[in-house]
Amino acid sequence: MRVVNYISQVDETKCTGCKRCEIVCPPAAIKVINKVATVDSEKCLACNKCWHVCPEDAVSIVPRETELIVGVDFEEVDAEAIEALCRKAHFFPEQFVCACTLTLAKEVAAAIIKGAKTPEAVTAMTGVRSGCAIYCMGPILRMLKAHGIKIEAPDTHRWYDLSLSLWDVPTAVAEKHPEYYLKDDQTEFNE
Amino acid sequence: MKLSPAISQYVMPSEHCPAPEVRAADLPDISAVKITDLFPEIPKGYLHNEGIDFIRQATEEALSRVDMRMIKPEHSVNILCSEHGFYLLEGMHYLEMLKAIKDVVFERTGCRRITLKLAAGMGYRESNEIISQFNLKDHFNGRVRPICAFDRGIPIETEIGTLYGLAGAYDADWIIHAGHDEPRDLYFYRMIDRLLKAFVMSYARFETRSVYHGNFGNRSCAFLQRAMFDAPFVQEKFTFGCFLRLTPAGVTGVAASNNLYRLGEEITVDLLRDYGKMLRLFAEIDDCIAILDGGRYGYYLHAGGIVFGCLENVRYDAFDLSQPAALAYFDLLGRMAKGENEKMEHIMFVNPALKAVVINQAWPGIPMAGLPLEIPTFVVGEKMIEITRMDAANPSFMDLSEPAEDLPQAMAMAKEAAGTDKVLVFDGSFGYINLSAPLAETLFQKAPGVKEQVEKKFLPLWLKQRGIDPAQI
Ligand code: SF4
Ligand code: SF4
Repeated sequence: MRVVNYISQVDETKCTGCKRCEIVCPPAAIKVINKVATVDSEKCLACNKCWHVCPEDAVSIVPRETELIVGVDFEEVDAEAIEALCRKAHFFPEQFVCACTLTLAKEVAAAIIKGAKTPEAVTAMTGVRSGCAIYCMGPILRMLKAHGIKIEAPDTHRWYDLSLSLWDVPTAVAEKHPEYYLKDDQTEFNE
Repeated sequence: MKLSPAISQYVMPSEHCPAPEVRAADLPDISAVKITDLFPEIPKGYLHNEGIDFIRQATEEALSRVDMRMIKPEHSVNILCSEHGFYLLEGMHYLEMLKAIKDVVFERTGCRRITLKLAAGMGYRESNEIISQFNLKDHFNGRVRPICAFDRGIPIETEIGTLYGLAGAYDADWIIHAGHDEPRDLYFYRMIDRLLKAFVMSYARFETRSVYHGNFGNRSCAFLQRAMFDAPFVQEKFTFGCFLRLTPAGVTGVAASNNLYRLGEEITVDLLRDYGKMLRLFAEIDDCIAILDGGRYGYYLHAGGIVFGCLENVRYDAFDLSQPAALAYFDLLGRMAKGENEKMEHIMFVNPALKAVVINQAWPGIPMAGLPLEIPTFVVGEKMIEITRMDAANPSFMDLSEPAEDLPQAMAMAKEAAGTDKVLVFDGSFGYINLSAPLAETLFQKAPGVKEQVEKKFLPLWLKQRGIDPAQI
């Protein structure tokens, strides 16, 4: 669960509609409409990405009038299904997949079982990837694919389809490079 | 036991976290200990206030052994550098090395289209601040550009599949990797191929960084950096690497080579030996309070050349590659939260000697969300409290931390919570450590034993595990 107390605010007099903010927004909360960036207050998780990339200094992060709470109640989802999906994607259900929001693997699994089909939907439902947004994309894509969802990367550089993991390393490659402990780590993680 | 008055050596000022009124070094019980008083054999380097002129000469000398014949006057070159270099001893040494690289490349090749590409951890705000504070536009004739993890990417085919680099890093005929050898958060890559890490972090898209940290173990992830560096696309552009060399006792010089594997082995021997001693010494601390006090990410602030992040996990010997702990950073807190203790030897958890943390000044933006879950944490002053509250990378941090009006009040609260008066200050120091006298006493007591253990037991093991024979170098 993520409690959001701030929101992105665009100064329309400065915005040129360049769409840089739109491309980096993890929950797809900011969109350029009629040449001006517009923020969906139900989705903005105040992650600062738009503030970072805006070349016109048109974005500020300001307090929300009422807090936004995002999160998936995994009690509402069949516990065995969550466990099975986590295991299929090689996650321990209780492990954190996001170092910022401390979202657990089982919450991401629950969001996907409840219908999230894209990384943006997973973010909007759980809050995962609303912090630094650097480290959790691979785990999200792993979990979506393990659920059988066909990943279609966007046309822009919003994100690329990269979910390569330890378990995708061919045995021949692992055996060729013992100094990187690829096989050993596979064994350790599986245990 | 030799104690000196504490020395202020704060990393550059920042609009993102203004300087506090009282500095840790100004506290009456804080003194300084020289690294070379603890370990006289660690090579003494230059410190922030000892001049930077030697850097130009050292860079020219190192580059005299490098082949640059592939660069023609009509070509374009990107000098790839990282924000962290500007953290080191106020950043002037790193800047001087970068300027010298540009000048030498021009003199030797006639190439004028040399652009500095500055990679930052999280976004453009950090890079823009560095570009302005270090006058990079003037130094590089306007040819300086920030590159960030969310910029347009470029697919790079590797032995292990497609990875994504930053298009802006590779948009020249040639690239120069201009880094430093300070180990940083070494438990994330276990000191395997240190010099290659930037190829999957600083110069790579966030998806690549994510699979590196989130989809591999801390040993096996090092394979990704090798796969990226060895990719034909990267090799066709790579010219040489040039690195600022540091020990915990300061800047010792510059090294450069066309062969990063060979140079990496040489550097690794020194890093394991010198930083290994400091890390094992920190592992001997039985209780302490850490103060974060500098205008950079708190996680990466130094005390005696060791970043705070390393103190958090120093009970595990991350240099020992047979050590199964520290396998997956994100694993740890989930299990801790659930109270599952079985198989804890596989999981890295926060150093139990760290009894309290005081945040006097630190940049927001880097995940430290788990810290106040486990350790009493105190945040000083209205400005820092507001910055922490707004920090998207640590959304629950302030809810779990205690606010304090000023540093003396925070220290009183921390000492009561921690039950210790051993204080270790992370304020960007190399060459010495700012600390309290009781902690200094512990370090002086333990240092001789640590030296012997590292030299006789650990170093031979660490080197053997990496297939490095110092006699062959
Ligand atoms: S990045 Fe800034 S200028 Fe560009 S569309 Fe977004 S708010 Fe407007
Ligand atoms: S979620 Fe982040 S990038 Fe999107 S509008 Fe809000 S602050 Fe900006």
